[in-house]
Amino acid sequence: MKVLIIDDEQDVRYIVQMSLGRIGQMTVVEAASGEEGIALARSEQPTFILLDMMMPGMDGAAVFRALRALPETAHIPVVFLTAKAMLSEIQRLKDLGAKGVVVKPFDPLTLAREIKAILGV
Amino acid sequence: MIVPSVDATEHQRLAALERYGILDTSPEDGFDELVRLAAAICGTPIALISLVDATRQWFKARLGLEASETPRTASFCAYAIHESTVFVVPDATKDPRFAANPLVVGEPRIRFYAGAPLTSPDGYNLGTLCVIDSTPRSLSDDQRTALTAIARQVIAQLELRRHVSEREEVDRLKKDFVSTVSHELRTPLTSIRGSLGLLASGVMGDLTAEARQLVTVAERNSIRLITLINAILDFEKLENGNVEMALRPVPLQRIFDRALDSVSAFAEQEGVRIDVQRTGAVVVADETRLIQVVANLLSNAVKYSHRGGAVTMRARPLDGQVEAQVIDRGRGIAADKQEKIFDRFHQVDSSDARTQSGTGLGLAICKAIIEQHGGTIGVESVEGEGSTFSFRVANTAEAVREIA
Repeated sequence: MKVLIIDDEQDVRYIVQMSLGRIGQMTVVEAASGEEGIALARSEQPTFILLDMMMPGMDGAAVFRALRALPETAHIPVVFLTAKAMLSEIQRLKDLGAKGVVVKPFDPLTLAREIKAILGV
Repeated sequence: MIVPSVDATEHQRLAALERYGILDTSPEDGFDELVRLAAAICGTPIALISLVDATRQWFKARLGLEASETPRTASFCAYAIHESTVFVVPDATKDPRFAANPLVVGEPRIRFYAGAPLTSPDGYNLGTLCVIDSTPRSLSDDQRTALTAIARQVIAQLELRRHVSEREEVDRLKKDFVSTVSHELRTPLTSIRGSLGLLASGVMGDLTAEARQLVTVAERNSIRLITLINAILDFEKLENGNVEMALRPVPLQRIFDRALDSVSAFAEQEGVRIDVQRTGAVVVADETRLIQVVANLLSNAVKYSHRGGAVTMRARPLDGQVEAQVIDRGRGIAADKQEKIFDRFHQVDSSDARTQSGTGLGLAICKAIIEQHGGTIGVESVEGEGSTFSFRVANTAEAVREIA
């Protein structure tokens, strides 16, 4: 499985790299911004995208819409990563068309399992 | 026409006007009533609350005039704001300052004008309360006094309005602050918790026993901090009424069972038995939220029980409601502390914060949830003998009766 993590926080990307790469045995590709993420989604064709909601510039929702509008990326499942734990926020993201939502701070040991459950693999 | 002059303090006056945030807002009954009152008392067809900004006079309330603003250069009120008492023009056609004014030459053919300055508490004339007629006339002393009094009421309304909007702004900032802080804390905690969790698990290589112990302590406390942030956010939302309760009929037994599921591991670890007396009651509740309440009460009861002790959970119908109880035989709560334990960050004694890993918000959250169900929560306790926490919520029969 190949995952693209789009998050402006370098440390969070590193934890995801360890959680999903080392423990989950996935290939992890990192993007530090929405623009970089969209470019990598096109070229890398990941199995799924882990997308941070709150980013400076292009935020998660804008990146998600852009990914959906592009024929090469429209099919890639997106799991949102958010620091807002409210149920209403989670529902809002699911309504956007997200495959699932992971709330920060997540458990690094079970993140891979959690995401596989969301993706149904 | 002679253009009205501008004072040296004009920019302070404009700043004072700006502070009210009133310009270009929608009409409001309170102000509309005051212009109707002024027109009725002075017997004029036109009355206005006119606020003079840098380039125009804008009407917060108007009677008998279509325009919502006119240029300041053609404004009578721009003269009136230089006065400390009512400014009167008996016949504008005979006054060189106004004879050529477009509002005199054309519609609404102003002849008579009287304007009482709207003086802010810090001494700036923001505009006027004015009455206008298309025939020359004057005001009686009583009418002048009344116009001045109503002008003071306009200022009183403006002040009130400002206090309300400032308060709303403070509330909004407070709400945003809590949610922003919570977000800003979660992001670094993701990295801290993640790093510690990965280290403690050993997947990154072996640690010495002592190092592993230290990392475990740090990880446990980072999780505690996350729990606390979640509780603060939850409490804040409940306090502000930002949580909608999805009230529907739920079998209370199901709530008991789910709550029990979430604390049974903790009870086992503490060596405390939980006895559940089965109930057939059906309550009207937000299921998730009521499970949260029961789980919280159960976990407290276990926490304060002695090893080998037992906690009882039961329910009974009472005064058309259902009363649920969680009973422990732990150390109990002193009479003078029983009221306060539902307050935020109040723990039974100061050692609790260290020995028991509570957030200090559990019971405050329970109380807020039960209150949003229209219910009540309370405690009865004897020190050294134990505590009984009870809450009451509507049962279905009662709810159906209320709807019918």
